[in-house]
Amino acid sequence: MKVTRASDVVVGDWPTSPEVVALIEGAGASLAWDVLADTAVPAARVHDPERAAEWLWEVYGDAAEAVLGGASEVEVPADGDWRVRDACRRAAQLEWARAWWPASVTAGVPALDPVVLHVERAVALSTVEHLLDDPDAVERALASVVSLAVPTSDPELDALAGRIAALAEDYGVELRPAEAPTRSGFALAAGGVDAAGGVTALSGASTVDWTLVPHGVVDASAPARWAVVRRQGRTVLEVSVVPGPTPGPRLAARFGDVEVALDGVDAAGWLIGSSPVSAAVLLLPPDRRVLTVYAPGFAEPAAPDPDAGPRRAAIISYARSRIGSPTATTTERTAR
Amino acid sequence: MSTVRAATLPRGALVARAWAGLGAAVAPLSNAAGRPLTRTVKLILDPLVLRPVLNPEFASGAVAAEHADALTSRIADAGPVLAATASWFTVLKKERRRRWITDGNPQDLYFQRCFELATGHGEPGPDAADVAAAVLEEVHGRAGPTVAALRDFVTDPANAAELTRLLDTAWDAPRPPAPALPAPALPATAPFLATCAVTPDRALFAALVAGSAGSAGAADLDRPGVALAHGLTSRDRPVRPELGRGASKANLPRPFDRSIVERLFAPLTNAFQREGLADVPTLVRREITRSAGPWQLADEESRLVVVLGRDASADLAGPPVGGPGSAAARLRSRWEREAYVHRVLRMPSAAPPEVRADVRGVREAYLRRLWVRLHGRELRHDTVTSDQVWDVLDGVLRSVILDQRDRLRSVLEREAVA
Repeated sequence: MKVTRASDVVVGDWPTSPEVVALIEGAGASLAWDVLADTAVPAARVHDPERAAEWLWEVYGDAAEAVLGGASEVEVPADGDWRVRDACRRAAQLEWARAWWPASVTAGVPALDPVVLHVERAVALSTVEHLLDDPDAVERALASVVSLAVPTSDPELDALAGRIAALAEDYGVELRPAEAPTRSGFALAAGGVDAAGGVTALSGASTVDWTLVPHGVVDASAPARWAVVRRQGRTVLEVSVVPGPTPGPRLAARFGDVEVALDGVDAAGWLIGSSPVSAAVLLLPPDRRVLTVYAPGFAEPAAPDPDAGPRRAAIISYARSRIGSPTATTTERTAR
Repeated sequence: MSTVRAATLPRGALVARAWAGLGAAVAPLSNAAGRPLTRTVKLILDPLVLRPVLNPEFASGAVAAEHADALTSRIADAGPVLAATASWFTVLKKERRRRWITDGNPQDLYFQRCFELATGHGEPGPDAADVAAAVLEEVHGRAGPTVAALRDFVTDPANAAELTRLLDTAWDAPRPPAPALPAPALPATAPFLATCAVTPDRALFAALVAGSAGSAGAADLDRPGVALAHGLTSRDRPVRPELGRGASKANLPRPFDRSIVERLFAPLTNAFQREGLADVPTLVRREITRSAGPWQLADEESRLVVVLGRDASADLAGPPVGGPGSAAARLRSRWEREAYVHRVLRMPSAAPPEVRADVRGVREAYLRRLWVRLHGRELRHDTVTSDQVWDVLDGVLRSVILDQRDRLRSVLEREAVA
């Protein structure tokens, strides 16, 4: 692996796009895996060599010394005791899933159970607690854990439930009691803009940029649809988007200069909104007929990343491959 | 190990190897990866076994190869005591569960007690349950100061008048005159901050303490808007605090606006912090004196650390002033890293209005948190040493940043429910 040195020491190729990064914040250095690359050895960004030296050998073995000693190329041995590195990978994978798991009815990616996610995340972080930047990371993680109701139909989940109870006791944290499952069903895939009582003059669809909405609020793969409808002599822009598994803040959409609040829900459960527009909207050139869905207060509408499409398709098919996979985390494996 | 023998070895690797040699007996002090828990290192291995203060060759970081065997055999020699410590921890946890005690973090509260028990009694014997019960009684039933005792003391009419008079006297006393020197003539913190993260200069720190750099740095605080700009008060200038009656943890005012009761409230509600506190009347009288001192702190060391924190955090969001490796440059790098971590964790890029002030006011939040930490340490007589300055300065920023993440998440969740 190559080692580059600027203000930080960077080992390997740090993944470029945030949505593929499985990150762990260690003391003095962060580790990142590219979830699409499937490599065991992470890239690292070392900002405090003295602190990082305490544990970097768990990740790079003997090569850690060369990394910190000034080498520009290191060979990470294949053989070794990599249990801690693998445990870091699991914790990082869960951080990734928490932020980017692309739940989508249309793409067939089921939602993660947030209860399982938080439990497994706290257990994973406790396994590598000794190298984390935050000395209180386990307590912090336990604060968002809700007890797992046992027994479940899955022995791995039962084992997790036992471990989280012991962990909470070791740290003196009282877990919130298990709640009745609140996960609502997904919206039906059929629904959306419906020009009932009007004449659709123009319509189209755009993908939703993941970075503009919180995790799980919008179906990761379904397009947002828009239509310019003439009704009773007025022109109206109607917008609809397929919600994801997690309720979120109010969404809005921007089309040209028109701002539409998505404050309604249609019969199929889609989030909808409409706004009167001047007929001039019909004269917008095709390249400006772009619908941008965003969550005000979370992100400002921005021009989409042109490479995002193929990358997100790859993330969706990666997520599909994790369900039921023995190498995946319990959280991913049991998504449904 | 590789065949090329390195001149130094990471201490973490040596500790991990020695620890692994102790086997399953120390599992209760280990994490699932078999490494000692963070608090095992902080509360047991460092202060009680390796003792780097007495054995600087065992300090964290790189250990010279010639000391490697000494370090590992020190841990191996402590094996029986550590195994007994682990057994006692299990016994104490069991007794804690039996008594439905949920207060505090058992590692914080019991680790050092367990080591004492292991040293004195060896492995738990037939009387283990009784011994454990006595320890829990002592830790949790401590007759020490409590919030209730504090409230009773200050609201007792027999004391209230005297305490108010004490407050008046302390605040009416003429302040030490502000140094008439122009700012550049104040003792400079920059040389100490330049290296404190890696090689803290004890002599420089001592000179800054002796020169009252901390107190001198507080001279401006009485000028309109200065303490406000530091985030330490919501007023234009600090006023004499009230004695106070009650407090709520969720809604504490800014440090200088807190009543005497509010200042003592948080330390008294934390079982771990309560250990070693003075009795209530002493705590209150000292707090009154403290509130009238420079930075409203009592020790010159704490005052100096506030000034160091103020100087090191000055360029979090402005143009960089500290050289590479300086405390200022390192704090800034942590702060800049956070923007990237936000994107990776899919945190809001446009802050919701209720959090926006916090994000913009990171330096004020930083100085507030720093003050609270130093105040708590004063109460526990845990004076910051030159070696600890960087951990305090850096730890406070980390804690401000992580709390901000938690707040952003909970705002998102609240909006979702609404």
